[in-house]
Amino acid sequence: MGVFLTAALIIGGYYWWRAPRSESGLGPGAVARRGGQLVASLRSDPRSFNRYVARDFTTDAVTMLTQDRLVRVNRATFELEPRLAERWESSDDGRTHTLHLRRGLTWSDGTPFTADDVLFSFAAVFDARTDSILASSLSVAGQPMRAASPDADTVVITFAGPSGPGLRLLDNLPILPKHKLQSTLAAGTFAKAWDTRTPPADLAGMGPFVLREYQPGQRLVLDRNPRYWRTAKDGTALPYLDRIVLEIVPDQNAELLRLQARAIDATQDALRSEDFVTARRAEQQGVLTMIELGVALDADAFWFCLKPDVKKKDPRFAFVQKPQFRQAMSHAVDREEFAQTVYLSEAVPVWGPITPGNRQWFDPNVPRYPPDLEKARTLLKDIGLEDRNGNGIVEDEAGTEARFAVITQRGVSSYERGTTVLRERAAKVGIVLDIVPLEFGAMIQKMLASDYDAIYMKPIATDMDPAANMDLWLSSGSAHFWNLEQKTPATEWEKRIDTLMLEQAAANDDRRRHELFNDVQRILAENLPVLYFAAPRLFAAHSTRVVNVMPSVLRPPILWNADLLAVSGAAATATPAPQ
Amino acid sequence: MTAFLVRRLLFALVLVAFAASTALLLTRIAPGDVTSQLGPGATQAEITATRARFALDRGPLAQWVEWAGRALRFDLGESFLYNRPVAPLVRAAALNTAVLAFAAVVAATVLGLGFGILSGSRNDTVAAFVRGVSFVSISIPPLLASLLLAFIAARTGWLPVGGMSSVNASEMSWPLWLSDLAWHLPLPVLALALPLSATFERLQSQSLAEALHQPFVLAAMARGVSRRDLILHHAWRVSLRAICGVYGVAIGALLSGSFVVEYVTAWPGLGRLMYEALRARDIYLVAGCAAMGSFFLAIGTLTGDLLLAAVDPRVREAETA
Repeated sequence: MGVFLTAALIIGGYYWWRAPRSESGLGPGAVARRGGQLVASLRSDPRSFNRYVARDFTTDAVTMLTQDRLVRVNRATFELEPRLAERWESSDDGRTHTLHLRRGLTWSDGTPFTADDVLFSFAAVFDARTDSILASSLSVAGQPMRAASPDADTVVITFAGPSGPGLRLLDNLPILPKHKLQSTLAAGTFAKAWDTRTPPADLAGMGPFVLREYQPGQRLVLDRNPRYWRTAKDGTALPYLDRIVLEIVPDQNAELLRLQARAIDATQDALRSEDFVTARRAEQQGVLTMIELGVALDADAFWFCLKPDVKKKDPRFAFVQKPQFRQAMSHAVDREEFAQTVYLSEAVPVWGPITPGNRQWFDPNVPRYPPDLEKARTLLKDIGLEDRNGNGIVEDEAGTEARFAVITQRGVSSYERGTTVLRERAAKVGIVLDIVPLEFGAMIQKMLASDYDAIYMKPIATDMDPAANMDLWLSSGSAHFWNLEQKTPATEWEKRIDTLMLEQAAANDDRRRHELFNDVQRILAENLPVLYFAAPRLFAAHSTRVVNVMPSVLRPPILWNADLLAVSGAAATATPAPQ
Repeated sequence: MTAFLVRRLLFALVLVAFAASTALLLTRIAPGDVTSQLGPGATQAEITATRARFALDRGPLAQWVEWAGRALRFDLGESFLYNRPVAPLVRAAALNTAVLAFAAVVAATVLGLGFGILSGSRNDTVAAFVRGVSFVSISIPPLLASLLLAFIAARTGWLPVGGMSSVNASEMSWPLWLSDLAWHLPLPVLALALPLSATFERLQSQSLAEALHQPFVLAAMARGVSRRDLILHHAWRVSLRAICGVYGVAIGALLSGSFVVEYVTAWPGLGRLMYEALRARDIYLVAGCAAMGSFFLAIGTLTGDLLLAAVDPRVREAETA
């Protein structure tokens, strides 16, 4: 046994130094070929094959591969592009949209695709018995969209009111086959249809791939959909790949090892900061290609509980609720240092929830808080907080110390580093932060119950368009996390944001929408209910044999345009894919 | 012997019921519940519906009574994570873990006993080397061992980095499928077997060394019995008692699933399923995994007891009495 272990260590070390060399090393001008198989990883099993009732990432990823939409937001350019609808016209008031479907399309099982399938999808998503998680994202002015079809190739969609995002909302709705699911909707069992026990033969889709096999805990195998509607510019039928295999690899360390070993070609997520060195070394050795996805759309956030109903008896709330206190915290943190320490320099400082990664909505002119400990101390003093007893902690006149428990998610390395930096910087101005790592579930439960002092975590926006994230911006929203679901706005500035956001969401004019949202970002940055420090630059890695990659900052960074992906060594040659 | 087996079976039933019920109640009263998996953007209606679906809107005792009633009919409830009944999920994972555990036990036994006999029967540099490596193997945490072996596999390409089968396994014939499974076993098996084999080696070595100094061994030596026969036919059998004492617990622990090894090597077993269930507070899945894990533990201890009885007549007599 000892001999084996020692030999394994020696051999492992030897191979560490004698790293494998590139086999293919396709350059950027590589030609896509039909055929071949791509293996990607997922972190967990799908909860369902019915995206209308499951919000987990794996279900979304599988849906992206097997189903299609009327229109799609391109994950690389963020432009709206035609899919099952080849063109559309919108009325002047932006409430009525006439979409013309592509003709002659068929589902993966050969059944013709018609406007009836679209109407069925709308009926299913808004059916009360379905209780779809997508319904709210497809509602305008609190009312569901209405769909009608004057003929088999046309769909007219009507909004109850004006909508800023307009047809971009339809990106949320995969179109499902009426012939497969109509009976379940009629029986009121649509919500249970297409669970993960469903035989693959019972599924049908308009996406580039069809599910061939699902082995729980191991993998999903998807074959090329021979009836997929899209073609390359030269007429080559897409997708290029014959098969995509999604291996379920729960551990991210093991996932990277598999990527290095060429056991998988792509991962479901961006790399972690701590994996950059390993990935870069593998890139130099020609094993994989690293691609910069851009600045992350979401940044780690830090906020205090600002719910007056819960905190009014807490003497610390008297100063926590004052913007000057939070501005002092913001001045105490050096964001450049934060980016270096927490994200190993692969991050950019941010002052609000909209990061430079969201090119359409980022406002570089929001108020900033440069690192200034003196300024921070002055602000604290202005609201009556100073170190009166010389113990290094500021307190108010009644002796209440500025000491807070900060809960964060256990086991996330960037959170551990972030809270450490935050604690050290806050201590320099006399604010004590005690870090309490919790399991995710326990942390969320405390957040929902407003049972905490402060939280450090990364809230994920559901959409890049602010009008699609009203739950965050509106004071009544379920994701307005510093003070959830207010009956009436707790502060004047939140009331003002409510007004601006409602107007922004209803505006048709893009310039006006930007003006309004810039105002919102400014107000938020002035009052700082949430502090943001740095947004990481995201990198993904894929095997060198994968070509036609169009990286996206959104998940999944590579698989989102799976119909265009190809691998080297495939049989027939095709020209580079269309954009 | 029949009475003994019946007693152990009853013990197993009590253990399974106790472990599963405790797991259910502890998961229930721990902070957070499965609705946290819905994310911060979940609506109140969605949270309420999910809580009702998993009976989280009732008291812990009422929930347990309902669950226990269904469990008696082999209905262990539904999993939130997998959106399907718990029983088949647990069965499939348990089978995978059993395959892994069986291979690990065989490997640990062969390696541990073999090297234990070697180091226990001599006192030279080879024995010292084996002892040293055993200490290192016992000290390496399973997480590190798994990652180290996965790293070696990734760099050399000699073995699959993880998983239980190849991508095209479902298209293979039975013999090919079995060889593919065997090809995926060494990495997780080694990660599990190394510390266990080191433990067996230490126990075997010490007990054999002690046995070699027993009067009956010395008497045999005086009768001119060869050293090989002395070790293998006289001392070794006596020395096995120490191994059998821990064998049952070791087998039980392996069968219950090593979540670290299964997680890192992506082996779809009971340990990994339990870990995922605990992280998500998937209450019925946690209870189901605990029930199966404790059942395996009972089987392990029973196996250990039977082995002990096989090698030690005194134990046999005591059980018969």
